[in-house]
Amino acid sequence: GMRRTAPRSTLRKIIKKHKPHLRLAANTDLLVHLSFLLFLHRLAEEARTNAFENKSKVIKPEHTIAAAKLRGCGWQSTGKCFVL
Amino acid sequence: MAGRAGLRAGRGAARTQSVAVRASPRHRTRVREQEPVVFASGSGLGKENKGGSSTPLRHRHNTLSELDNATPRLMLKRIIQNQPQVSPLALQTVQLEEREDAQPEPPSQRTSSTVELQLPVLAAEDTSVTAFHVTRKRKKLSVSEFERAADKRLPQNQGFLPFSFYRSLRMSIGSVMAPDTVEKRGLHRRPQNRKAIDIAAFEGGVEQNMLQIKAQDYLVDLQTSSMTGTTTIRTDAEVVLNNTELFAEPQFHEQNFLTVEPQLSDSKTSAQRSNSSHPAHGEARLEGLVSGVSTDERRTQRFSEKDLTDREHVDGITQKTPAKQGEEEQDHSQQNDPMEQFSEPEEMVGTTEHHADTEYSEHSEKKLSRKAKSQLTAAQDAGVEMEVTPSEGGGVAEGTELQDSPRAAGSLGRHSPASYSLEKSGAKPLKEAVEQTGEIEHRTITGELDAAEEESTDNESEIEDHESEDISMKTPMFVRAADNRPHPVLLPPHPVKSAAPELPPQPVQAKPVPKSTRAAQRKRREPEIASRLIKQIFSHYVKMPVTRDAYKIVEKCSERYFKQISSDLEAYSQHAGRKTVEMADMELLMRRQGLVTDKIPLHVLVERHLPLEYRKLLIPIAVSGNKVILYK
Repeated sequence: GMRRTAPRSTLRKIIKKHKPHLRLAANTDLLVHLSFLLFLHRLAEEARTNAFENKSKVIKPEHTIAAAKLRGCGWQSTGKCFVL
Repeated sequence: MAGRAGLRAGRGAARTQSVAVRASPRHRTRVREQEPVVFASGSGLGKENKGGSSTPLRHRHNTLSELDNATPRLMLKRIIQNQPQVSPLALQTVQLEEREDAQPEPPSQRTSSTVELQLPVLAAEDTSVTAFHVTRKRKKLSVSEFERAADKRLPQNQGFLPFSFYRSLRMSIGSVMAPDTVEKRGLHRRPQNRKAIDIAAFEGGVEQNMLQIKAQDYLVDLQTSSMTGTTTIRTDAEVVLNNTELFAEPQFHEQNFLTVEPQLSDSKTSAQRSNSSHPAHGEARLEGLVSGVSTDERRTQRFSEKDLTDREHVDGITQKTPAKQGEEEQDHSQQNDPMEQFSEPEEMVGTTEHHADTEYSEHSEKKLSRKAKSQLTAAQDAGVEMEVTPSEGGGVAEGTELQDSPRAAGSLGRHSPASYSLEKSGAKPLKEAVEQTGEIEHRTITGELDAAEEESTDNESEIEDHESEDISMKTPMFVRAADNRPHPVLLPPHPVKSAAPELPPQPVQAKPVPKSTRAAQRKRREPEIASRLIKQIFSHYVKMPVTRDAYKIVEKCSERYFKQISSDLEAYSQHAGRKTVEMADMELLMRRQGLVTDKIPLHVLVERHLPLEYRKLLIPIAVSGNKVILYK
């Protein structure tokens, strides 16, 4: 796809934010980016499937929420609030 | 004759003859002198450089004027020089005639043509007065001539348009029109030169209109007050209105650019009452917080906003007063008038202020005096304000909050994305998550919400309980930092709360630069994946249009994902007795995720999804030829 470069420094910062004591090897952030891409890929596929099932031509939030739940992102079922 | 013929031939032959050569510099000078007219001439002379000194050649001009006149171009120039006030239209026809006549005709007929040229030119001069549109070529038309023509037309056009229009035109355009009368007039579609209106009559009409407006306003106010139970608004609004504009406008600007959170909070509050339905997540909490805070500040802010927009609106009203009254004011007047007379942004602005106009009608007179200026500012603001106040808003019930609610309730998507993004750009540094692409407001609001939440979590490193507070806290901090002026609207409705939590988090953050902007602090505190990137990737993968709310959810998922994998990676590396995450850990992670299988090794995934430069880094095999070069 026409993707830009990976936000390597941002990725590092995010992981640092969550796990300050954790270090990353040389190009591990690239693999983190790769895993993130694939994660979005799966999420997108799932959301698309949900949208098709609902006969919708647009991805709606509910489709995405259902996909996230399926994928284990832990979306709470109570309205829009979600707990990490 | 012969000389002329020879001269012409010489010219036609690109000045091969001496006479032609002698004439060419003169011709050039003439051309230079009358540059605007030269282009019209299609004579065979072609383009001659406009060089040479004019003064020494002028004598030669006079002596050889006859020779030069033979050329239609030169003839034209001469005419222009001699009769600067000839109407361009007539002259053009003459020029055309001349050219047509001159070029095909043999040289012998030139003289006759020149003589003929004089006559039509003279005739044209007489009719110059009637020539209304003066082309740009006619730079030499005198102002007096123009004024005469204008005055002649005045009685025709008088009384066609309402007084307000006259007044506005004269005020806004009159001064500008004076210097560049000729050219500008040509550009204007309408005859805008009108006599001064009888001020007394005009004022009378305005007052009548205002009275009518007031009558309606009172009715509306009664309704609004009954519904909202706040009668003080009007008084405050009036008080604010009475204030000078200086603060209102800049405040307005500020509001527009800094309404990241305020919009969010406003949206929350408005969501409570208006129809906006935000599928955002933390809205319920935020709304509770927002509503809890006093709305006075917001109201005052709104009033200031109203003041600004009101001026524009009032201008629109005053313009309309004689023609259209009352009914249209609230919702359509601004739309109609501004469209007619001003740029569309003003129209939008006016529409947004429909609810406020009633109260401010009384200030219309003051506004008129500043109409020109306010219009200009309005145009500037309108561009920003457009999104801020989408039309009608939540309803008259929210009289005071209409301004805010429309902005917040922008989920209805009335703004123009571009302008909104412009508005957002001001707040962009504050939040990365804010989406600046041509997104509708709803998404941006959700983006704000998301960013706010992220920020809050980052600050307190806690979960949602504090997020709402942090969000409200963040925005006022930023707002205050960016703009020291009182902007109650910008501040979420809980400035008191924000004041307290502001101080502790800053030192806790251990950021050594207290002077750094809130945006910088915020960024430092909360690194997050650019929402742009997420959108791009997700939309690319999903291959379908995605609502902004869905994007918000994707962002949240991403956030959670990173949290999860960071924990996982930590566990893996710890399990391996390391403190650093290595490639093996990453591969294990992906294997656990089901991405890497026995059939799909990691390298395959790398090659599939990563660009070449990254592939080269990850896979120690060069892609050039058959050589195998180990990078490590």
